[in-house]
Amino acid sequence: MDDISGAELILVIGSNTTEQHPLASTRIFEALEKGAELYVVDPRRIRLTDFAHAYAAIEPGTNLPMINAMIHVIIKDNLVDRDFIKKRTENYEEMKKSVENCTPEWAESISKVPADTIRQFAHKYATTDKAMILFTMGVTQQTTGVKSIRALANLAMITGHVGRPSTGINPLRGQNNVQGAGDMAALPDFLPGYQRPEWQQTKDRFTKIWGDFSCLRGRNIIEMFNLMDEGIMKAAYIVGENPILSDPDQNHTIHCLEKIPFLVVQDIFLTETAEYADVVLPAASFLEREGTYTNTDRRVQMIHKVIEPVGDSKPDWEIMIEIMKRVGMDVKYQCPSDIMDEINEATEIYGGITHERIHDVGIQWPCPDKEHPGTPILHVGEFKRGKGLFTVNDFEFIGDQRTDEYPYLLTTGRVTHQYHTGTMTRKVWTLAREYPHGFVEIHPKDAENLGIKNHQPVKITSARGSIVAPALITDRINEKTLFVPFHFSESPANRLTGQNLDPIINIPALKVSAVRIEVE
Amino acid sequence: MEGNKLYTLKRENLDQVLNIWNKKSSVYVPVGQGKDINLMPLGEAERTEDYINLTLPVKEMIFEQKENLFKWKRNEQEIEVDSLAHQHRKDRILYGVRACDTYGVAYTDRFFLQEFPDPNYQSRRSQTTIIAVNCLEAGQHCFCTSVGTGVFSTIGHDLAFTPMGSYFLVEAGTDKGQALVSEAGTFFNETDDNILKKKNALKEKTEESFPLKMDLTNLWEDMSKTFNAAFWTDEANACIGCTGCTNVCPTCTCFNVVEENSDLNQGQRVRYWDSCQSDHFTRNAEHHNPRDSVSRVRYRIYDKLKYIEERFGFKGCSGCGRCTDVCPTYISIIDIIASTQKAAKENPEPPAIHQTTAIRHEIKDRELKSLKGLYTPDIATITRVKQETPEIKRIFMKYDDPDLHKNYEYKGQFFQVTVFGEGEVPLSIPFGPDQTDELVFDFKNVGSVTNVLYQMKEGDKVGLRGPYGRAFPYDILKGRNLIFIGSGVAMAPLRTVIEPVVKHPNDFNQVIILASALRYEKLIYKDEMKEWEKNKNLTVKYALKDPSDEVDAHVGYVNDLLPELDLDWSNTTALVCASPRRIKKVARDLMDLGMKPSDILVTLETHMRCGAGKCGHCKVGSHYMCVDGPVFNYEEMMALPPEY
Ligand SMILES: Cc1cc2nc3c(=O)[nH]c(=O)nc-3n(C[C@H](O)[C@H](O)[C@H](O)COP(=O)(O)OP(=O)(O)OC[C@H]3O[C@@H](n4cnc5c(N)ncnc54)[C@H](O)[C@@H]3O)c2cc1C
Ligand code: SF4
Ligand code: SF4
Ligand code: FES
Repeated sequence: MDDISGAELILVIGSNTTEQHPLASTRIFEALEKGAELYVVDPRRIRLTDFAHAYAAIEPGTNLPMINAMIHVIIKDNLVDRDFIKKRTENYEEMKKSVENCTPEWAESISKVPADTIRQFAHKYATTDKAMILFTMGVTQQTTGVKSIRALANLAMITGHVGRPSTGINPLRGQNNVQGAGDMAALPDFLPGYQRPEWQQTKDRFTKIWGDFSCLRGRNIIEMFNLMDEGIMKAAYIVGENPILSDPDQNHTIHCLEKIPFLVVQDIFLTETAEYADVVLPAASFLEREGTYTNTDRRVQMIHKVIEPVGDSKPDWEIMIEIMKRVGMDVKYQCPSDIMDEINEATEIYGGITHERIHDVGIQWPCPDKEHPGTPILHVGEFKRGKGLFTVNDFEFIGDQRTDEYPYLLTTGRVTHQYHTGTMTRKVWTLAREYPHGFVEIHPKDAENLGIKNHQPVKITSARGSIVAPALITDRINEKTLFVPFHFSESPANRLTGQNLDPIINIPALKVSAVRIEVE
Repeated sequence: MEGNKLYTLKRENLDQVLNIWNKKSSVYVPVGQGKDINLMPLGEAERTEDYINLTLPVKEMIFEQKENLFKWKRNEQEIEVDSLAHQHRKDRILYGVRACDTYGVAYTDRFFLQEFPDPNYQSRRSQTTIIAVNCLEAGQHCFCTSVGTGVFSTIGHDLAFTPMGSYFLVEAGTDKGQALVSEAGTFFNETDDNILKKKNALKEKTEESFPLKMDLTNLWEDMSKTFNAAFWTDEANACIGCTGCTNVCPTCTCFNVVEENSDLNQGQRVRYWDSCQSDHFTRNAEHHNPRDSVSRVRYRIYDKLKYIEERFGFKGCSGCGRCTDVCPTYISIIDIIASTQKAAKENPEPPAIHQTTAIRHEIKDRELKSLKGLYTPDIATITRVKQETPEIKRIFMKYDDPDLHKNYEYKGQFFQVTVFGEGEVPLSIPFGPDQTDELVFDFKNVGSVTNVLYQMKEGDKVGLRGPYGRAFPYDILKGRNLIFIGSGVAMAPLRTVIEPVVKHPNDFNQVIILASALRYEKLIYKDEMKEWEKNKNLTVKYALKDPSDEVDAHVGYVNDLLPELDLDWSNTTALVCASPRRIKKVARDLMDLGMKPSDILVTLETHMRCGAGKCGHCKVGSHYMCVDGPVFNYEEMMALPPEY
């Protein structure tokens, strides 16, 4: 994270950093103080744009053409880092061929970002020594999400912006422990520590610890809901997640939760999702338990119990242990550090991360043994997989586009004072007061054409459903584009979003839906 | 306190002394390291002397982040209310406080303990003894010497320690401090004035070591020339409203009032620290927010550097530098001072009138009769409810304790009305001073509290605090023409004057009521107005958006009616109640007709929580709308920063 403040160019794509990652944005401000330049790509004139040296007001869902066009420009204008490409990467020629036709003019026709702006971004990025890219959901939650990230990787590699301080492509995590959850394999296709279940050595390693265990690939959340719908999945156990508000196509989500024969929800509050549960297990909050979180920086940090769990609630690990006992499993953990001991044994990357060692500031994985100091920068000198692989990422339109019936593109997101589905933050007066209810941002010109006044309730409809929210007229959003935050159950943005998925890893395209808007 | 006695205390004896004090009281000492220094009970963790300053100002021990105000319980029909005691279990001695924070306490004492004394602060403060330990080293953002509050503590402490090598110089600032010295008398050696020379030398040396030195002599003048300077927009764009800066400030006193209910029949009203840096701190009805992001960011700085001092005579910023330390987007009061001075020199604006006129209202020393304390309401029972318009009701009530009606003094403009479990709202007094046996309110159903009040009926209980605010003057109106201008529920506050005027018609010349609304049904006092009009010298004129059969009304704005009124404008007083925007329009027209701005009386109803000059929500410039207003004359209104 401190890396950011050393950068000379920060390229922010699809990340409302000041509002969603205020402390990361502090580092951006530090860099600006030191003379760095800031380039922003976003469909909304987010606060960062007030400080940006260049801004690309991009159409939702069209990052990929812009990135490919930047690569095109860099190659054409001979700004590539030949040495780096030769020594540290492979498959360059193939990739080069794939962007041959990706001219800035072509990208402009799709993304609405002027070709010259694209050139400016490309030149600046290629010619700045310490140039780093920050991105979040604005890149990932689209049908081209994975391709876009791979294209960013291409961009970083052709210019040698990898593996050195203040370079690289850096995702900012939306939640305190997204990284940690992924590390611990809250993913369908990994075991903890990103170990593939298909690998024999992984099987052996875990069999040694756990005994015999099922080693099939799991399902991701979208697939699971479809299985519920098809009646194949009979029971679900949802821990700390509120899919009714956070998953796309709310009507479909509700339909599935109504249909599934047995639903368990474990949460610290009775969420909208918990209302559909057969059993609700009250969990303890972060103040009421011990354990670790792993942040954006791969830094594993301790949390400490400040108060005893309120009422009948219990820390998540205790609840799970109780369930393990009841299904007849042998439980050997007495406390969270016992679990950490097992993690040390089971994974390479957490091998040396113990509760004692991370007391003060935490340790960044990979940390294979108890003497290892941790790893602040990945990919120094060599990529994890050996050589960096260039990929081909052709753009094609998948999913929603503007039509006569749905002439607007909706993008969704958050506001500073609310967190995710608002289960926690909407209960706190000081945060709730700032944003008591949802809203839809609309450009003044569109509002005028439709006769919409500020704060007037409007109806927004997509092929999936419709919601009502007060209009917020602002020139911080592009024309023919709308923005709705997804925190609010009275005007749930995700009733509008759909099942358009990234074909590679099934991330839903929450950031792009075609909608229409009308006065209520 | 008589004479300032001086003592020395050997460093090696300090812990013994603290332990002696700790027997009768709880002694709190600094613990922690680096930037994370907190006051903790002696013995709980290792005491440190190696710190620049406490992370949070000592204020948090007296004005706590969350405090209970009162609790209530419903028993069948009755409601019982209990003020909550705010005693610490033991008296507290806070050791190791720096000069910027003792100064802060001196200011908060002034703020909380005068005009409507704050009972919570009062009880905690009386149980707190403060021991300053003077700094010999400055932090990166310290600038107490520039504002003149440090570097050594001069005010706000009971005892001040100055480290002098192997011993401390100990000075008593109050009798309380003196008593502490006596309590551990054997360890303190009285000494003479000579030691002060040494102290001063030490002070000068420390002052010289300060990394930051600013000349603030002309700051107010510079501020008056840079109110709209461009740099404010940059600062506002950067601020994410995290409220960190106000949470760490020793002179921030604002709070919000929140209901915390155990169930439908009992709960507590509590207060939490609140922040003018949150966007909706000042939000008012109909999405009207008097402060945008620029005025919000500017307001904090102006309050600290000017408004507080203007009103209370104390520096509003003690120069502790914490807000600069804490801001995630590097907004710095120090840089802002520099920007102000630079802009005043390079790009001065004509001085803003609201930053130069010295309209200071007399700060009235007022205390409520209630024995229960400022924040605890008295119970009243609803006797009658009348539907005025489709959204407005008139609600009549009597105090359960009839003596309260006798004590009730007519000297305010509004009451704070509590709906138990839901909240409290300010409502104007729409009745005259003669009415002492019954209270009445007219209110519009606009939100959470008014909505529940709207459902209430005869026999239901509410809570009342008040009356608060500066009312419309009455006596000075005698012998003049009067013109009342109000629309919708905004007629309510005017009725306090209309009623006595109607009762004593001969005291006045011509009286005109201009009532406006979208439609006739939306007007309140429809019957009364017809009644009032029977007075020879009283005329009612209507301005409606939609024509009506009921009355002969002008279709359009009230302003249109003004020119045709045949009044001696120089002998006329106007009483206007409307939104600030409407007030300005009407006032401009009235002045065009020849009225003096000081003869136009208006009410400025900003967002209010406490009604008594404490919560800070209603503050405009150095004025509290709840105490200094809500009634102002137009000249005074124009001398306020345009943030109402
Ligand atoms: C001095 C004074 C006298 C008033 N007299 C009357 C009166 O006689 N009749 C009448 O109908 N109304 C009067 N009001 C306005 C009334 O206080 C608000 O309508 C009421 O507080 C709204 O509370 P709520 O909980 O029903 O609404 P909420 O749900 O809290 O909010 C509804 C809207 O009212 C605004 N609001 C909330 N609290 C306040 C507050 N304390 N002050 C101002 N606006 C607020 C909110 O920002 C919001 O826009 C007066 C206000 C003041 C300051
Ligand atoms: S305004 Fe800032 S520097 Fe001044 S007293 Fe408050 S926190 Fe300290
Ligand atoms: S700390 Fe900084 S960002 Fe936060 S409210 Fe204060 S000025 Fe704004
Ligand atoms: S200070 Fe609280 S309402 Fe005025």
